[in-house]
Amino acid sequence: MYEHTDYPLRKHLVEAHERVWENIAEPGPFWTGAERTSMVAESRAATSCHLCEARRQELSPYAIDGAHNSETDLDDVIIDMIHRIRSDPGRITRSMFDRVMNAGISPEHYVEVVSVVNSSVIIDTLHAALGLPLAALPSPKPGEPTGQPPANVTDEGAWVPIAVGNERPGLINGLSNNREPNIARSMGLVPSAVQLFFTAFRPHYALQNIPLDLQQSQAEFIASRVSALNQCFY
Amino acid sequence: MLLRASGQSEQTDYDLNSVTDNEIDSGVDSSHWLRSLTEAAIQSQWDDLASIRDQAGTAMGTQSMVDALVVASGFNGITRVADATGIPLDENTQEMTVDMRESTGIERFNYNEKSDRYDLVTS
Repeated sequence: MYEHTDYPLRKHLVEAHERVWENIAEPGPFWTGAERTSMVAESRAATSCHLCEARRQELSPYAIDGAHNSETDLDDVIIDMIHRIRSDPGRITRSMFDRVMNAGISPEHYVEVVSVVNSSVIIDTLHAALGLPLAALPSPKPGEPTGQPPANVTDEGAWVPIAVGNERPGLINGLSNNREPNIARSMGLVPSAVQLFFTAFRPHYALQNIPLDLQQSQAEFIASRVSALNQCFY
Repeated sequence: MLLRASGQSEQTDYDLNSVTDNEIDSGVDSSHWLRSLTEAAIQSQWDDLASIRDQAGTAMGTQSMVDALVVASGFNGITRVADATGIPLDENTQEMTVDMRESTGIERFNYNEKSDRYDLVTS
């Protein structure tokens, strides 16, 4: 991954992204490797989907229905979820989550999709931003979903139960053990989803003493600007 | 909200309204290039981004330019995690940023306001 660039990328970032790519292709606790790989393909399809583009022109993203330009055989409600996350994240509302739940998808399945898709968003965005072709999809590994023991979660007002705090120090660099933010707890319903996503994210940021060729305030400015562009409240 | 904390630790007043208003200078070093790189990357303006990379690399140094895109791409993912899970603000942040969220316009991104704005057709 990233072998065709002269831009200076740090070795640990490249290695982390390669690990994430390999992990996506393996069975997760609730989805097969083939399904997880399809989620990445579907996320990419969303960037040129006609229905997504039409929805972005509407005052409400729920104003029109139709068929997405889909490239997989994932369930339609999962395809719609992935396309909304990829193409119009700032206008996601609880309605999207409720639609998925009403289709009989479990919160655990939902969280795993969120993790896989957004891990791939990080990797695809960096490739595109550096002018590189997107990485080839990984080859899915065979096997059924692995399942998992019940997670230690709590209801704190998010759409999904989130992890009990302060059990995962080090997910975000520079974070003290007694100050775990909700974002680090948000996918705690599926611990491997947390691990996958933060393996991708960790080389991109630190809350203090950021190990990049940027001042901390410069990194925060970028982070804040992305949040504003994506209309992210958190 | 992170920029606010960064300003406190650096004992510098950054203009937080610059986050939501392009006309305002943040006071952050190289903010013009940081803004240009970030907006082109997040809004998929790939043709523009090619020349912006060249110019920003000359102005800031190539490593800093690349690292700016590294941060932007990371947050392009993590903001979607927050948006898709509906997580509330952390307790301290909730209490300490009420005025700032109003003045910058960030409050309009809260989940209830988004539902009021975007769910109208289906409700």
